[in-house]
Amino acid sequence: MRLFQKTKFNFIGHRKIAYTISVVLLLSGMVSLFVRGLNYGIDFKGGSEVVIRFDKPVDVADVRAIMMQAGVNGSVKQYGLDRSMLLRTDFHGETTTLKSLILNSLSARLPSNPAAILSIRAVGPSIASDMKISAIKALVAALVGILIYVSFRFEFKFAAAGVAAIFHDVLTVLGLFSLLGGLIDFMPLEVDQSIIAAFLTIAGYSITDTVVVYDRIRERLRGQKPSDYERIFNESMNQTLSRTIITSGTLMISVIVLFIFAGPAIRSLAFAMFAGILVGTYSSIFVAAPIVFDWQSRSKNPIKLRGA
Amino acid sequence: MKNNSFKLILIAVVALASVWSLWPTWRDYALTKQLKSFHSSEDSLKFAIDHRAEIEQAHAKSLKLGLDLRGGMHLVMEVDILDLIDQKAWNKDANYYRIMANVRNAASNSSSNIVDLLASGFAKEKIKLSRYFYDMRDSDQDIVSKLKKEEQDALMRAREIIRNRIDQYGVAEPVIQTQGSQRLIIELSGVTDEARVRKLLMGTAKLEFRLVKEPQMLLRAVEEVASVPLQATPQLPATDVPADSAMTAAPATVAATAPVAAPITPSPAPETSSVATKKLSDVIGMLPNGQVFTPAYARDAVTVVLKRQDVAALLPQDTQLLLAAKPEQTASGEKYYLIYLVQKTPELTGGVITEAKATFSAQDAQPEVLMSMNDEGTSKWARITGANIGKQIAIVLDGAIYSAPVVQSRIPSGNSVINGIGSLDEAKDLEIILKAGALPAPVKILEERTVGPSLGSDYIRAGMLSMMWGFAAVAIFMIVYYNKAGIAADLALVLNILVVIAVLANFGASLTLPGIAGIVLTMGMAVDANVLIYERIREEIAEGKTLSMAVDVGYKRAFSSILDSHVTTLAAAFLLNVYGVGPVQGFAVTLMIGTAASLFTAIIVSRVLFDLLLGSHFMDEKSFG
Repeated sequence: MRLFQKTKFNFIGHRKIAYTISVVLLLSGMVSLFVRGLNYGIDFKGGSEVVIRFDKPVDVADVRAIMMQAGVNGSVKQYGLDRSMLLRTDFHGETTTLKSLILNSLSARLPSNPAAILSIRAVGPSIASDMKISAIKALVAALVGILIYVSFRFEFKFAAAGVAAIFHDVLTVLGLFSLLGGLIDFMPLEVDQSIIAAFLTIAGYSITDTVVVYDRIRERLRGQKPSDYERIFNESMNQTLSRTIITSGTLMISVIVLFIFAGPAIRSLAFAMFAGILVGTYSSIFVAAPIVFDWQSRSKNPIKLRGA
Repeated sequence: MKNNSFKLILIAVVALASVWSLWPTWRDYALTKQLKSFHSSEDSLKFAIDHRAEIEQAHAKSLKLGLDLRGGMHLVMEVDILDLIDQKAWNKDANYYRIMANVRNAASNSSSNIVDLLASGFAKEKIKLSRYFYDMRDSDQDIVSKLKKEEQDALMRAREIIRNRIDQYGVAEPVIQTQGSQRLIIELSGVTDEARVRKLLMGTAKLEFRLVKEPQMLLRAVEEVASVPLQATPQLPATDVPADSAMTAAPATVAATAPVAAPITPSPAPETSSVATKKLSDVIGMLPNGQVFTPAYARDAVTVVLKRQDVAALLPQDTQLLLAAKPEQTASGEKYYLIYLVQKTPELTGGVITEAKATFSAQDAQPEVLMSMNDEGTSKWARITGANIGKQIAIVLDGAIYSAPVVQSRIPSGNSVINGIGSLDEAKDLEIILKAGALPAPVKILEERTVGPSLGSDYIRAGMLSMMWGFAAVAIFMIVYYNKAGIAADLALVLNILVVIAVLANFGASLTLPGIAGIVLTMGMAVDANVLIYERIREEIAEGKTLSMAVDVGYKRAFSSILDSHVTTLAAAFLLNVYGVGPVQGFAVTLMIGTAASLFTAIIVSRVLFDLLLGSHFMDEKSFG
């Protein structure tokens, strides 16, 4: 089977359109980040999370009302299966107290529908801020590491454009999380540690696709005149289009399987990966290589590529 | 072909080693299943005894499941180093308390080392540390290094003590690690009574024997503090109440099993709202026999007020007002707590306790803990009891008075007893804590994750489903898209998954749900290397190269992209492992192992398979789809 064989898309010629799309994506994400902000999970905000399972199906609104009356301020959401609820509160204290408060009020108000607490998570504010700092450190270190590695393997312009593409991907997904955060019931889209895991994987993967394109450009560029660069860039991108899409495709299969089967705890991570792979594949073709091209055409120094 | 036979051997070794390390996991699973299959418990017990060695060996070497899959408790605890430093200080004055309060504030918003924060806090005020710590002649630097040493010792001691407590309580395979300069990570699987474990871990068990002052002094002291408002004045440092009071165990909670429901989120309990305007005298009463008490509902508020620095300053020199740990009951059923005036300096502390035993008392069959002391403690105890016949000595545990017996005679044996304990379980926990020793400083829980076993089995099911579907989907896709070459990639993928799980089992790492997610993602990424190679081979074939040349060139030319992509993914996973906390580390670990393994499986394994298949004329130019 073959898809995307012998394509002749004029990627470089249409790069302005791609730039516009990217700028719109990034700007709307940014605006949403400033206006709506991010929906932080308790990893980064502190608080408690309780998963409650009922014996029979129950209405979310009922549980919400019962919790309000019990004095547990927070949100109640469906969690995966229809009999489970996720209660989130800013409660900081003995989880035992919280547990008995929840169970007592539920058994008093819903005596015919016994509930059990499946899991409790409580994160204190000081550790939450530590986790936030660690997450930022990890992302920055990943970007710097990739910048250095790609500069070493190709050259600085390629590396910088690749890192710009990663920025583009991560920011777009972050913007998406800000836009959709809390809107979808079965998937809260909160930014927590697993999303940072997704971002780092996206960062690593975005550069994978980019490197495949770079590799071909490097191979074809050897001993060519700058006037031929546009043609070579285009041809390289078309030649690698199939593998760029198939490699993303196999990973996409894994991510979709995770989204469907791995349960609510992994769903946000799978969604972030899904969006990240889509944007990452797009950006390696429409952002990274075109930036290198534009940069190269404006620069007086010829490309000095390392490696084979 | 010589080259290939080496590679073949290598592959065979890796495959065999993987199967070998997964064998115990399989045996463990099979044996457990067999154990459960017996109808009578006698049969299963007999089977367990007969196969004990095999069961234990298989279990020890099998793949460990993470807490989220097995059910259990994960705790991040912090040792309150500032409290430890405070214990070391002397000459404390108003300046000292002010700076310490600032340092505590700064510490709750920063992740820097607490001793450094302390040093900079005092340096900002141009006050030498030696004014309060160690020797006057020490330089700030000396003191900082001494305090850091103390900090490190305290963390190690806390870890050992907590390990002792857990071992005595009996939890299988506990994990206790230190993190940074003041944190402990504790993982306990299969814990059913979380509240009890939490109490056991946090119990500081600071045992003190203190002299109780005469009733007249108590009355005078109560009069002194009577007009103090119950609401704390904000600018005064409440030294014993940490700024980051979230999830802190107030020392009293260890003792508190009385049904005092601490109000959580601002609930409109009438007592709490009126407490704000009340004075201490409104919630303190006196009994006809001269004893002073506070009603049960005001206990928490009174405890907090009595701890305040400004309140303590009103009392006579070297004395302290403390509450009883257990309530008394009036005839009408109302609960109240007695208040005692005790000497601040303890006569003796729990450090001298060598043995503790939870039993029921001979007189009233109430649970109690018998203690015996070491030689030094015994002689001191004999002297103290001898000198104070007819007086009360309070047995104070974590700042609450358990009992205050009147000394009848000199006690030469070094024995003493704690009574007034709510339940035998509580007495047993106290026994454990006393035997294991007191924590060097209070600890608090920063993060807690508890997963029940039923959710764990849900996670296992979800994880297995994802692995199966992930593998099936990727494997079928590769065959559909790349034809016979896809089979080679799929075989390499099987080996890849085997290697990942084997490495986890071999290095004692545990498999978590995020870890399984990492394996599923690895499946999608591992075949990428094959995709890059096959696409290149297709190109070479299209250019008219012969099949074996195309395969040769394909592998060679695709290598650079494959290496780059694997290095970047490895780097990202590595950073996630370094900076991530808890479950995401499991994800990072499997991703790392999987990526590294796919370098081997995709490049070497599938290559050898091709060479074999090409030799046997199983493949031709069309085999790449």
